[in-house]
Amino acid sequence: MSTEDTTTDRLQRTTRHRFDQLKGQLFEALLVVATLVGIVSLLVLFGYIALDAFQPMTASAQWYLLYFGTLVAPSAAFTLYARRRPAVRAANARAFAVVFGSLAVSLVTYVVVDSLSPYDVLIYALFGAIPPVLIGLYGRERHSQLTGPAIPVSILLGLALAGGLYGVLRPIVGLTAHWIAYVGIVTLPVAAILGALETHRRSRREGAFVATAVFLVTLAVAVGGLATGRDPSLWVVLTSAFVLPVGYVVGETVLTDEEGRIGVLGPFIVIGGVLLGAALERALGIQGLEGFLTPSLLLNSWDGLNAINAGVYPQIVGSIVIVGFMSIMAFPVGIGAAVYLEEYAPKTGPFGRLATLLEVNISNLAGVPSVVYGLLGLALFRNTLGFGSGVVIAAAGTLGFLILPIVVVSTQEAIRAVPNSLRDAAYGMGASRWQVLRGVVLPRAVPGVLTGTILSLARAIGETAPLVIIAVATTTYTPPSGLFSSATALPLQIFAARSNVDAAFRHGVVPAAAIVLLALMLAMNASAVLIRNRFDREH
Amino acid sequence: MSNRQDPEANSLQRSGFVVRKERLYGGLIAACAVLTIFVTVGIVLALSGQAIAFWSEISPIRFFTGTQWSPIISQNYGVLPLVSGTLIVTICSALIALPIGLAAAIYLSEYASARARSILKPALEVLAGVPTVIYGYMALVYITPLFGNVLPLSVGLIPPGVPVLPEFTLVVPALRTFNALSASIVVGIMIIPMVSSISEDALSAVPDSLREAAYGLGSRKFDVSTRVVVPAATSGIVASYVLAISRAIGETMAVTMAMGMSPQMPYFPNVLRNLAESSQTMTAAMVQIAGADQTPGATYEAMFAIGMTLFAITLTMNVLAELVRRRFREAYE
Repeated sequence: MSTEDTTTDRLQRTTRHRFDQLKGQLFEALLVVATLVGIVSLLVLFGYIALDAFQPMTASAQWYLLYFGTLVAPSAAFTLYARRRPAVRAANARAFAVVFGSLAVSLVTYVVVDSLSPYDVLIYALFGAIPPVLIGLYGRERHSQLTGPAIPVSILLGLALAGGLYGVLRPIVGLTAHWIAYVGIVTLPVAAILGALETHRRSRREGAFVATAVFLVTLAVAVGGLATGRDPSLWVVLTSAFVLPVGYVVGETVLTDEEGRIGVLGPFIVIGGVLLGAALERALGIQGLEGFLTPSLLLNSWDGLNAINAGVYPQIVGSIVIVGFMSIMAFPVGIGAAVYLEEYAPKTGPFGRLATLLEVNISNLAGVPSVVYGLLGLALFRNTLGFGSGVVIAAAGTLGFLILPIVVVSTQEAIRAVPNSLRDAAYGMGASRWQVLRGVVLPRAVPGVLTGTILSLARAIGETAPLVIIAVATTTYTPPSGLFSSATALPLQIFAARSNVDAAFRHGVVPAAAIVLLALMLAMNASAVLIRNRFDREH
Repeated sequence: MSNRQDPEANSLQRSGFVVRKERLYGGLIAACAVLTIFVTVGIVLALSGQAIAFWSEISPIRFFTGTQWSPIISQNYGVLPLVSGTLIVTICSALIALPIGLAAAIYLSEYASARARSILKPALEVLAGVPTVIYGYMALVYITPLFGNVLPLSVGLIPPGVPVLPEFTLVVPALRTFNALSASIVVGIMIIPMVSSISEDALSAVPDSLREAAYGLGSRKFDVSTRVVVPAATSGIVASYVLAISRAIGETMAVTMAMGMSPQMPYFPNVLRNLAESSQTMTAAMVQIAGADQTPGATYEAMFAIGMTLFAITLTMNVLAELVRRRFREAYE
């Protein structure tokens, strides 16, 4: 009898056990599905957009085969090869960052300076940069205490002076050619930076040599361009901000990094694959992609009637200019506020309570809907300060207010992550509060601050609602030409085009513009993640 | 002489200039902090000035109880259709995002391997980073046609044989070009990461001792997750819900593009009809006014009145979330 009892008992227990096990597995599966729902649905929607933008069915099978041979297979093989060798992988990553980073920087610089007029940028850059450089050099020779605070003051005074003398200077500067202005804006700083790098690595003589070489090569390129009768501006910028820095870094790696030198090939395999593919495509007459994500989309102005010619060049430049001015205005203030809250603000007493209130206030600001910031911008910039509707500075200021709390909160986190022992050690050695901050805390916090600021840039570049509220034009046909000129931004054009029922726009140009916007945002997010990962690994 | 003085002051003696320099830097940095206060004060002043001007023309009672919103055509300033439009989107997107977000948070904090988490967490964060104007475009151009093929359908909640009034049958009619369903879906997807990341922080903050105690008593992972960890993190989860709902209320571009600009009072009793019809949220109404002629007048000021209402609602919710979260912090630290 008793044996029967235990059998049923055990049987019951195993059924129960099985049931519980099944329940647990089902629950876990449910959780996995829920986690993937958002990601998968987003991927599906991205897929729709990509299908419309690239129209992959228009290309022939040969086209896919061609690019598989020239681009996909070689880069995949190289990645597999590099994966096992840490030195090669590191050199590869560095080469990718340098090649595509400096390409992006030089193109953005050219485009922005071109739209804002090279002469104006040259005037303000010279007056803004020369005084602090002179003061810095003087301070290094004399070890003067004065130079620290004098640098920001001299920048502001220099810029104000440039504004005052603009009427006199503009005709004089206007006598030179465009490309000479670009030499001043781009080549000069690049030569200084590369020269300083080489001085730091080797000696002063070699540094001077590198700086002179940058100058001479750029001049040679400019003269070559002039000889063939073209405006050499773009070539000047590309040579000094892309070709020469890449050449310097690649040469440096090849000469010094014996183990990893093969890694610098990575980006060139990709670029070479694209160029070879394009050349073969033309030579063999292969049917390629007929999508809307073409050079004409990136380089033309908007055309509301003709989809093939419609482009978003003014919109892209507008976005970059607005976000650029926004960062100039918002980042110093945001980082300053975070430094105050973490390092200076009293923790106790009535002022301490005030500081806590300030902190709560900032975290609440981060939760205010972005449209409300639009109303703030409208009231402040148009009604109070009397700027025109939708000018660059109003848009930049409005977005600046919007991202200010994000910058403050992320900077605070980065500063808080710096261990207190470092501060104590520095104070123990007699450093003042500012010295501790500048020499110990801020350098350690830089990666965190950088991550936060890049993420806020990514947020700002996609922000639309506040710009609509402050009446930024949804479509303009020329890029902005200054702080007080009207501009539009890429997301605004997507918003404006929603009512276009023409299939070529609805399932063509607008998805392609959306891909451009997504690419900008994803590239920023990815670089923020990379910086964060690198930082995590180092500590 | 020297031993009478405070030794610390003596050793840390700095020249007057250095002290002044330090003070200058401190002042500059404090000025930055003060500027953030200026932003808050600026928002409140900007909103309240125009909003008060509006409410002195149109009585607040008419504004908050009116069921007609047609500011540009016939000067009807009743905000209720806009509030109901906002509510529809908020409720529906919350129905999507809150369960999914919580499930994702439980998976990430309790089940996922470190490797899976390192991939899934940034992938989820991308959802929140996609510009909302792109979400709006996706809803308008891709989601609406997708669901348009399935609808109309009647939901068989009430069996066909049961004699009830025909208007009580739950039917989703064919989707309009602009509709609340598509808007809610994209807003829901958009706020999933907000729920999941804040809830996950709360779940991870539950001390391991609680989990170990439950395992020690012979519990399974399922029971530990659902009966120990989730209840222990309730306040953090609630805070994430409140913040996500606040974000859904303030969401602008996606609802403007996907839901249209035709303010409606909700349909009763067939509530599902509201999903298929176009409507307008408070934020979309602001965009519409801003896009129209911006001449001073009651319509222009109405934009600020809505903004003030919106600001008050979201501020209340954010403060509420913070209070809930405070309670949870006290429990475990």
